[in-house]
Parts: sequence; structure tokens; C-alpha cells
Amino acid sequence: MTTTITKSFHVDHPVDAVWNNLTNPTQVVTCVPGASLTEQIDNDNYKGEVELKFGPVKAKYDGLITFLERDAATKKMSLKGTGTDSKGKGGADMKMDGQLSEKDGGTDVNVTMEVNVTGMMAQFGSRLINDVSNQVFDQFVNNFKKQLAGEQVDNTLSAGSMVGGMIKGFFGGKK
Amino acid sequence: MGHSLKRKEDARFIQGKGRYVDDVKLPGMLYMDIVRSPYAYAKIKNINIDEAMKVPGVVAVVTGRDLEKYNLHWMPTLMSDTQMVLPTDTVMYQAQEVAAVIATSKYAARDGREAVRVEYEPMKPVIDPYKSLDPDAPVLRTDKEGKKDNHIWNWKVGDKQKTDDVFAKAEVVVKEQMHIPRIHVASIETCGCVADYDKVNNHLTMYMTTQAPHAIRTVIALVAGHVGLTEEKIRVISPDIGGGFGGKVPVYPGYVIAIAVSFLVGKPVKWIEDRSENLQADSFARDYHITAEMAGTKDGKILATRFKVLADHGYTDASANPSKFPTGMFSIATGSYDYDATYMECDAVYTNKPPGGVAYRCSFRVTEAVHAIERITDRFALEIGKDPAELRLQNFIKKEDFPWKSPTGWIYDSGDYHKGLLKAMDTVDYHQLRAEQAEKRKRGELMGIGLSTFTEVVGAGPSKDFDILGIKMFDSAEIRVHPTGKAIARFGTKSQGQGHETTYAQIIAEELGIPAENIQIEEGDTDTAPYGLGTYASRSTPTAGAAAAVASRKLRDKARKIAAYLLEVSEDDLEWEPGKFFVKGAPEKSKTIQEIVFASYTNHPPGMEAGFEATHYYDPPNLTFPSGAYICVVDIDKETGAIHVRRFVAIDDCGNIINPMIVQGQVHGGLTQGIAPAMYEELIYDEAGNILNGTFMDYLVPTAVESPKWETGHTVTPSPHHPIGAKGVGESPTVGAPPAIANAIVDALSPYGITHLDIPITPFKVWKALKEKGAI
Repeated sequence: MTTTITKSFHVDHPVDAVWNNLTNPTQVVTCVPGASLTEQIDNDNYKGEVELKFGPVKAKYDGLITFLERDAATKKMSLKGTGTDSKGKGGADMKMDGQLSEKDGGTDVNVTMEVNVTGMMAQFGSRLINDVSNQVFDQFVNNFKKQLAGEQVDNTLSAGSMVGGMIKGFFGGKK
Repeated sequence: MGHSLKRKEDARFIQGKGRYVDDVKLPGMLYMDIVRSPYAYAKIKNINIDEAMKVPGVVAVVTGRDLEKYNLHWMPTLMSDTQMVLPTDTVMYQAQEVAAVIATSKYAARDGREAVRVEYEPMKPVIDPYKSLDPDAPVLRTDKEGKKDNHIWNWKVGDKQKTDDVFAKAEVVVKEQMHIPRIHVASIETCGCVADYDKVNNHLTMYMTTQAPHAIRTVIALVAGHVGLTEEKIRVISPDIGGGFGGKVPVYPGYVIAIAVSFLVGKPVKWIEDRSENLQADSFARDYHITAEMAGTKDGKILATRFKVLADHGYTDASANPSKFPTGMFSIATGSYDYDATYMECDAVYTNKPPGGVAYRCSFRVTEAVHAIERITDRFALEIGKDPAELRLQNFIKKEDFPWKSPTGWIYDSGDYHKGLLKAMDTVDYHQLRAEQAEKRKRGELMGIGLSTFTEVVGAGPSKDFDILGIKMFDSAEIRVHPTGKAIARFGTKSQGQGHETTYAQIIAEELGIPAENIQIEEGDTDTAPYGLGTYASRSTPTAGAAAAVASRKLRDKARKIAAYLLEVSEDDLEWEPGKFFVKGAPEKSKTIQEIVFASYTNHPPGMEAGFEATHYYDPPNLTFPSGAYICVVDIDKETGAIHVRRFVAIDDCGNIINPMIVQGQVHGGLTQGIAPAMYEELIYDEAGNILNGTFMDYLVPTAVESPKWETGHTVTPSPHHPIGAKGVGESPTVGAPPAIANAIVDALSPYGITHLDIPITPFKVWKALKEKGAI
């Protein structure tokens, strides 16, 4: 069960500041809903946890996050995460490619995320996964913007609002 | 016979007094739940049971390594392949059993299941059967020494040279690629058992949802004989069953684990699947990819057929076929038509999917065969522009040509195909419908008429050809009539809702003249019932029903002797009418069957064995060949693809009918299970082997809402070799309905160049096809 999401957004911060934030694991992970870092293995490899909830189905993935590419000159980064559900209900992996470019004094951020889930999440969540992933991504973007603005970020998972938001988006025509 | 006697068993079913496996509660009983794999293909790196063992009530967690110590981690399948009971190192499909948790309550067992931690190393699975034979596909069955690919077996039948020659010279050749999708046997009751091993007496009582209790007893003895469980120490009880449809023929790992655990701990162990486990892990049905070809003349004479099949069996061949028939009775695919050249070939392959496939309300792959021939026949009619009904009437085997030998070797016992189709056409007013369709087509509206005129092959079967693991496929009846003239009769078959308690009683009543309500029917307890191979493949009436008739006739012969003795006349002077013997020409001098039976215990002729009992093991001389002519009318909404089944007429010919009401019930149920794969059901897997519709939320089983009004009718062509001329009916409608529906839909869409759609034909599929052809 693979889903690919591409998002572009603009932030009113200089490209270097955005770059530093996006490539700093401790900073960026605190923007991902339900995620936390548990251990740094080396400069490129980190251990962490991600909690996901699709309606009634909840999964907690223990995983490894690896920076495949962090090119400060071209402002291109690539990140891979692999995880297995701590209760043995399945696994997930994710690849994220980001590209920053300067625009009007601010920064354009282009991100493509490919998420692949196996097991119970794929079974029960197959119809929801795209929408929920979109929601998670939107929350991430909001958190990321807040963080750049120096605001407090709360990345606890609010699944109810996530599914609620999805339903609202569906009926309101806005996703 | 021929009476719509109300079903005797319904009194208990409608009052909630049925007794199913889950109703069995024994003192000290433990409960089992099963940890299942989230991956389609993975190495098991570690199974950590520490947390699970801390859950209050959990008494044990069993893994493949534990079973390995007793050599119980693998078991044979009915097709002589091997299947894991629990894996020691590799899982082969999503939802496969990984470990079993045993606890003092089912809730504790479920909590324990959630606490078992399994570490997997996922591997890239083989999901597409066509890719399973690629040279770079991983070899799945590395447990088989020397296995270098995923090919299981190749089967072929027919005359290849002759068929190829006919095709090469034929005026018209048509070809379609079809998939008969993998579907689930959605019985109301899931599978389960209570294994009760008594250590002191070294005796196992196995309550289980099985359609074939005696066969199961023998299989357990063969598998567990080495630990002292020999066949006389095993009693299998199959209580009331809430639907079987072939899905309760195989031995699932859960049964074996429950037996092993009960054997080791000396306590009863109950295992009942939940709905999702039943859907995701139990044997599927169908999953045949068929290339079908037909050759004929421009004016519509069928000359030859060719079928090439790729069978996706999942990770092991756990089909439930007679041993000599790896593709079951697929070779019935020549159909109801008179031609003599055919060639069929099938290759079976392994993939990372659940094992199977079972004969879901189908006499072993007949559904696949009938779909292929009926679809390609319509394709041929479309190609030459001939009405499909006319084309069928032109090609049918004629009534006077029976018994008819098919090009694949079957001897069709009897049939009158013209009569059946003409009756169906008359019922729907076929020519009027075609006129209406022509009008609608002018206006761009979509209306379709689909036919299916099938021949089934049921009642396995004659012992020279049919066996399961060597045991011949006869079946049995034992009748005991008590001194007061009331009877109990026991059978080797097992009803799962078919109404045996009524129909068997009616057969005995007809033959012996004892009222059906005074005949108690018992099945499903191996300690009391005579040996039999069970109920599936529409075999109960053809085999056990025949055994009941023959056993009754043995008793009638004895009754004649007793009557002659009592009336002091010669046996030849007696005449029989149901219920009594009387003296020819002096009907007032008579003895009723009740008087005769009483005499058999109180005043039997000198030298004659006392009592009134008979047993018969019936070995049918041939199979029976029920047939049917089905016509389906659909209206399709062009903009949405929505399909409305306006009419469905089913004319069945199942020979002589024992109970018309039960037959009608069977036909209604079967038709609904026919519309299911035609329009709704399919088990869908993604490329990683995740099942994408693993619950009833997503797996669409038709309900009363989706079911059209079924219009049923009959023609009666008795089987010449069956003692009461009956043929069996349970499966005909499931087999015959899907192609009628598919043909109707394709007929509606054919003006736009659409020649075939794979089932299930959903509104989206219709809409997409119309879109692709530029029709909308």
C-alpha cells in the first residue's frame, strides 16, 4: 500500500534558516505529529518512534531515520525512515525528498513523501491512508512554520481531529 | 417424495436451539487465540512471549519451535502438498498463524495475543501468479528439497493435435482472457473446534466445524498415530453447522494446534475464529486465470474449444479435490454442446497468498469451467452476429443422444437441454425482450440479455476414479427401525443447512412407508454414524440419498418375507403399496409396515435373523449431470455504470425432486451466491501482499437488498442410474448464475465494442470500459 504526496509551501524566512531547521533532526522531528527521537546513532542515523491512528486502528512504529542526502549547496535533502509496529502488526517505510529555493526573500519548500505501509494499517486504512497522510503532512507544515516563527510547537497526535479534519475536508471540498 | 414437507430441523433453528461448536462448553476448558503475520513474506527473527505470559489467565504460548519437537509443525494437505501448522522460521502470507496463546478465558487469550512480540524481516513477496514463474522470482518453497521454481503441477486433457488442426482450419476463432477471481467462502458461522483429550483413557473427542467428520478422524489418526492416537481412540463430532460451502472441508492449522495443546495439557481447548481471521486466512475459492478459445463455422456450429489455465494456489496446494483430479472437474468445460475436439491445460503456481482453493458451492472447479465455456460461447455468437439463444439451440447435445460421451471422457447420464432453454425463453418472453432491446439501442440506452445453459457434474463419485487420500468416495446409510415402527437413520454425510433431516426421511418414507416425521436422522458423530466421505460437491443426494433408498429396499425385501409368513402366503403373492403388503386380489388381507416391524422383534419367521436394520454403502456407477438454463436481464445506467438486474429466470433440471421447497431454497441461496462473484466479491491484494478488503466493511457480500427477485422453475430429466432418479441441486445455481449475469452485462455494452469484462463487474468497471470506448 504505497501513497505519494507532494506539497509545496512558502515561508517568510531566509533559505538558510529554513535549511538549518529542516535538516536538524531534533528540530524537524518535533514538528512531525506523533513522532519523537529516542537515540542518535551517528550523524546520519537516528532512532525514533512514530504513532499513527487511522480511526480505530492505532500503530506505534519503532524505527530508524537515515539522512541519505543533505546538500547545503543545492539545498536538497533526502530522508528515509523505516519502522515496524511495536506490537508486530506491520511495518511502514517512508522516503522524503525536499528541495528549498529562495523566493521573494523567503523560501519555497517542495517536499515529496512516499509512504508505504504493510500489515493491519494497510488492511484497515487503505481507503483512509492518503487523506490521513495529507492531514499529517498539513499539521507538519503548520508546526514547521510555527517553529520557524519561534512559537511553541505541540506535536501530540490528535487523531480525532485528524479524521474529523479529513471528513470536513471531504465534505467541504477542501483537502 | 415430491412433497414440500416443512424442514424438520427448522423447529430447533428458529427457536435458537441449534447446537454449534461454540455452544460446547466443557469443565476446565481453555481458550486459544492465534497471533497472525502482518507480512505476506518474512523471516521470523524472534518471538518474545515474556509479556504475553504475564497477562493474567494466559497459561501457554505455543510456537512452531514447540510443535517441531513433536514433528507436528507441518501437516499434509488433501492434495499431498504440505502446509505449516505453525512456522519455525518463515511466514508465507498475510494473516498466517505465527503462534497460539492458550488462556483460561477467550478475553485473556486475546490480551495475550496482543502482548506477543514478533520480530520479522520482511522479504519481497510473489503476488502476481504470472510473475511467479519468472526466472528472477524468489523460490517460495525452499522447504522442498531441490525446488527451483514456483511451479506446482501441470495437468492436461483432450486431443491437442486434433484440436489444433480444427482451430487452424476454422472459419471463425474467438479468444478471451478471463479471471475467475479469488473469493471467500462467507459462511455465517466461522471455523472452530473444541479438542478434548482425555489423558486417562487416551481418547480424543474433537468437536469441530467439518463437512467430512469421518475423513477428519482418519486424517487425525494418520497424523497423530505416532503419539498413540489411533483411530478407535478418536471421536469426531460435527454438531450443527452454520454453512460450509466447501470452506469446512480442509483441515486448518488451528484445529491441529488445539489438538496438540489439549494432548499436551490434558484439558479441553476451544478455538473459534473471528470474522476477519475467517476472511483473511481460511481457504479461498476460484482464482483461475483462463485463456478461452472457441472455433466454429460462420453459421454457428461449434467445432472445438481450447482452455489454458493458470491456477494461483497460494503458498501450498490445499485444494479439496478428489486425489486424482488436481483441477477438479474442470474438464466439464466442453459444456452442453455437441462437438468432439477440445484441449485443456492447467499450470498451478505458488504465490504469497493464503492456501487453497476450496470448491465453494461447486463440484470442484465446475464454476470456473462453466464460466469459461458460457462466456466464450457468447463471444462466438457476438463474433458471427447470431442470437446466443439460437446458437445454443443449434449446438445442444440432443435428448436422444444421452448417455453422451464428452470429448474429455465424461458420460453425461441424461439431459434435455432444448426443453430447459425453451422453457426459460418462454418464461421471460425472450423475443419480446430482444425487440425491446433493439428499440432501446436506437435511443442509446443500455439493456442486456444474458444466457447460461450449463451442465454440472456432481455426486462424486464412482470408486474407480474418485478417492480422497485413497479413501473411495462412496457414502453410507444405516437404518434401524424400532419395534413400534419408528426409525432412526444415520449417515456418513453432514448437513450444513441443506435439510438432510427432512430429505433423507422423505426418501426412507417413500421406500418403506414409515411417515417421515417418525424417522429420526442423525449425522456427524463418527462413533455412531457409518463411515462416509461427507457433504460437499452436491454429493449427498447422489450418494447417501441413494444409500438410503437401497438400504430401505433391503428392509422392504425382509418385510416381504415377514409379511408372507404372517399372512401364510407365498412372497410372490404379495403386492406392495407404500406402507403395507397385501395379497394380490385380496387387498383386505394385508400387513402394515408397522405390524411387520413389530413381528420382526416379536414373531419373526423361524430361521430369520431378528430385528429390522439395514446398512448400505452406495458406490455410484456414474456421476450425475444436472443442468440448467438461466436468463438474466439487466439495465445499465450509462452515466454511472450502475447495473440493475431486472429479471433472473432459472430453470433447473436436477432429475427427480425429493422436496420442492428445499430445492427452491437451495436455488435461491445458490443464485445469491452466484450474483456475489459476478458483481461484488473479490479478495484483493496489493503488490506487497496486503489484503485490501479483509473485513466485511470492504468485502461485499450481497444481502437481501442487492438480491434480485429470483424466478425459478424446473424441467425433470431423471438420472437413469440413480435409485430414485435424483441428481443433486445444491450447487447448480452458484455455478450457472455468474456467466448469465456477465453475459447480460457484456450484451448491453457490446454495441460499443466491448467483448468481455472480468467478474466482479462493478459499476466502476462498466463506467471505465464505456469511457475507454468513447461511449460517454
